[in-house]
Amino acid sequence: MQSKQYSIKVYETTITDEKKFIDFFNSNHTLFKDHLIVIQGELSSTIQEYLENKNLKYLQNMVLPKGRTRKALEKELKAEKTDAAVSQQITQNELERLSNQLQNNLTVLDEMIRSGKELSIEGDLLLLNRVNSGATIITTGNLIITKVVEGAIRCHGNFMMLTASPKANIVFHDVEVDNTLLEDRLNRVELKNNEIIITPVLKKEINWAL
Amino acid sequence: MGIVIAVISGKGGVGKTTATANIGLGIAINNKKCVVVDFDIGQRNLDMILGLENRVVYDMVQVMDEEAALKQALIKSKANENLHFLAASQTKDKSVLDSEKVEKLIAELKKSFDFVILDAPAGIESGYEHTIEFADAAIVIVNPEVSSIRDADRAIGILDSKSAKVKKGEEVAKYLIINRIVADMVESGEMLKSDDILEILNIKLLGKVPEDRGVIDASNQGKPVILDKKSIAGQAYTRISGRLCGQKVDMKNIEISDAGLFKKIVGIFK
Repeated sequence: MQSKQYSIKVYETTITDEKKFIDFFNSNHTLFKDHLIVIQGELSSTIQEYLENKNLKYLQNMVLPKGRTRKALEKELKAEKTDAAVSQQITQNELERLSNQLQNNLTVLDEMIRSGKELSIEGDLLLLNRVNSGATIITTGNLIITKVVEGAIRCHGNFMMLTASPKANIVFHDVEVDNTLLEDRLNRVELKNNEIIITPVLKKEINWAL
Repeated sequence: MGIVIAVISGKGGVGKTTATANIGLGIAINNKKCVVVDFDIGQRNLDMILGLENRVVYDMVQVMDEEAALKQALIKSKANENLHFLAASQTKDKSVLDSEKVEKLIAELKKSFDFVILDAPAGIESGYEHTIEFADAAIVIVNPEVSSIRDADRAIGILDSKSAKVKKGEEVAKYLIINRIVADMVESGEMLKSDDILEILNIKLLGKVPEDRGVIDASNQGKPVILDKKSIAGQAYTRISGRLCGQKVDMKNIEISDAGLFKKIVGIFK
């Protein structure tokens, strides 16, 4: 990108009497040769013609940036910088908090959990298959199951993600979860102030089979 | 070398023994040498369903304890000479079985038969574990109802962890038979659909057997229902036996009742 930066002089006026304006310009027009004329308000064709004849550059109804002192500018720049630094720190903290929640010795399984099986996991579990009636899953960490659960779940992590599982028995931190609240998509289950909060994870449903 | 198939269900009363008798006879009709072994020690009934109860002299436990030779204990079926039967002991209980003896017996049977079919006891106790331990494949029998499916699921789970083949790192083939399907109950939603059952159990479908009043009478008379050409359950077992013998037999949709089919046909002409 090529650019130039320079200051120009501006003459700003509002025309109330056209004759007076022309008279004034006639006597001073050499003075305005290197000015940018800004007309606020009405601009009649007579004036327009006159300005063009005199070869003067003009603009109509323009809000111009007012000049500021160097000190004021520096102060503003400094404030902007601290704002950016603060918001970056907040994002970083948030990311750290999330990764602390997630990377907790993750186990990934893609096997069907059949009846009678008790699966006890230290840390987090990502299960890509179904949990059949009569099976139990216990995790000390977070639990994500992408298919339907018909067995029992005991999770002691920060969150669970489950799809609709009307036949499941779900206990999260010794609190029984009302599974009718699980919608037919991936739901996040969290505990806030001893209350189970269930929210959809994504607005759009994802198809894990693909 | 023959193939060893365990017929399992978890839950009792779903039709394991009836299925074993019919599949065994069906395989024999297909000109394969087949032996059916009753592993339900202490509660044998495969002999009755095959109509051989008065022919039992020696049982499987006596063969394992070398009190009788295998040849003496094997009973040839009246219905088909390719079918043989080895009875369970009615007087002993499940605790007489041990892995070494079972392995030896099965190895011997495999030498002289194309198919060795083991009728497992209900439940998941030691008797069941010994039945599945040396099986190459399993046929899982379920009824279209939740308790039968959950018990079958449990039985499959044990099969997948206790079978000798699995311990060697190989896989035991598992096939599903859905027994006693009532078409209009499936249509009205009172009975589970076979697709739903397959989704839960996640094993290959071998066949569907419709509910048939003739089955009980056939069992009482000791003539497996597969011999009755008019019986719908018998026809289903004929198809299943054909599949086991390597024939390509299309899966018949028995979950549409005749009334439902009629409605559909009328619907086409509307």
